[in-house]
Amino acid sequence: MKIIINNSSFQPIYEQIVIQIKDMIMKGELCENALLPSVRALAKEIKVSALTVKKAYDALEAQGFIVTVHGKGSFVTSANQELMLEEQRKEVERLLEQAVRKAKSCGMNRQELSDLYQLVLEDLTEC
Amino acid sequence: MLKVENIKKQYGSFQLDCSLTIPKGRITGFIGPNGAGKTTVMKSILGLIFPESGNVSIKGRDIRKMTAKERQMFGVVLSDSKFCGYFTILDICKIMKQMYPHFQKGTFLGQCERFHLNVKEEIRKFSTGQKALLHVLLAISHEAELLVLDEPTVGLDVVVRDEILDLLRSYMEDSRSILITSHIAGDLETLCDDLYMIQNGRIVFYEEMDVLLDHYGICKVTEEQWRDFDKEFIIKTKKEAFGYLCLTKNRQYYLKNYGSVVVEKASVDDILLLMMRGV
Repeated sequence: MKIIINNSSFQPIYEQIVIQIKDMIMKGELCENALLPSVRALAKEIKVSALTVKKAYDALEAQGFIVTVHGKGSFVTSANQELMLEEQRKEVERLLEQAVRKAKSCGMNRQELSDLYQLVLEDLTEC
Repeated sequence: MLKVENIKKQYGSFQLDCSLTIPKGRITGFIGPNGAGKTTVMKSILGLIFPESGNVSIKGRDIRKMTAKERQMFGVVLSDSKFCGYFTILDICKIMKQMYPHFQKGTFLGQCERFHLNVKEEIRKFSTGQKALLHVLLAISHEAELLVLDEPTVGLDVVVRDEILDLLRSYMEDSRSILITSHIAGDLETLCDDLYMIQNGRIVFYEEMDVLLDHYGICKVTEEQWRDFDKEFIIKTKKEAFGYLCLTKNRQYYLKNYGSVVVEKASVDDILLLMMRGV
């Protein structure tokens, strides 16, 4: 599996694994029902502790992206598209929230912010 | 897999008093300064020396009651044990076959070939790296369930070390475990699932490797910052020219709340150093 661990990032290693596997699911590189490598095999491949990989798989399973069948392995589940969209929507919401907070903290009013938003929107839809 | 309970051993003024557990499927690192007791613990686990009190059990069996046949489940690299230099690898194969019915001659010779070890040459003519590699290959050649490896990578360059670590990763299955010591902390970071640290005969630190890499940190705090610095998550502190060097198990907290304090990830070396030198 093509996972790159950034050892100098402050982002926990298991989170890096989770994000990259989700990314692969989203881009269709990992299809529905695809079998993920075993915990040990992936740990060996990316040179991290097996417990770290286990943690990543547990997180993916808790979020509904994979399912682990005892003795058979971990598989990509089917209901991912919606999960993904929901997740991305949440991320956009979070970023917008951040932008609004920033605007508030430097004293922009509603109108200014709304104008700016429209401007950015137009700029981006043009290209 | 392995349970060491309160083993005690006295050597002059040195007193060992230590407990540790290794579950199945786990690679456990074991670090500590020279003379801290690592080798004594490993020899106790293997039943080569007997502690004055306490217990060592492997898969529920008391080490003192284990027969030679049962002890075939150990794969061992000890720093001061080696084969006679006038033997060739082919000679050693004959010995291994007699000692270990599960000796996988074909696989072993295949690996020798892969690493360009000349099986017909006397091993005294091997380089340090080749000898070390041979010892590891032998340890994993007879389907041992518990590998006890004392400094298997000592004195080796980064390329050979990387190869040895990869061999060990490949060897791991859920029914096998490894206990390994190394003075090269970086090796343990990418190999081990958890880590024990021993100092003056006592275990002073235990942590799972992913927690260690993901949550532990080093804070560099100036004298001025120190006064208002929340020390709740600080484990050890060491005085430095610039102020204080601290080990924390919650770097996120300090990253979030102390923008002006330098916070870094903690390596195994950092932890060893601060546990030893810090207060």
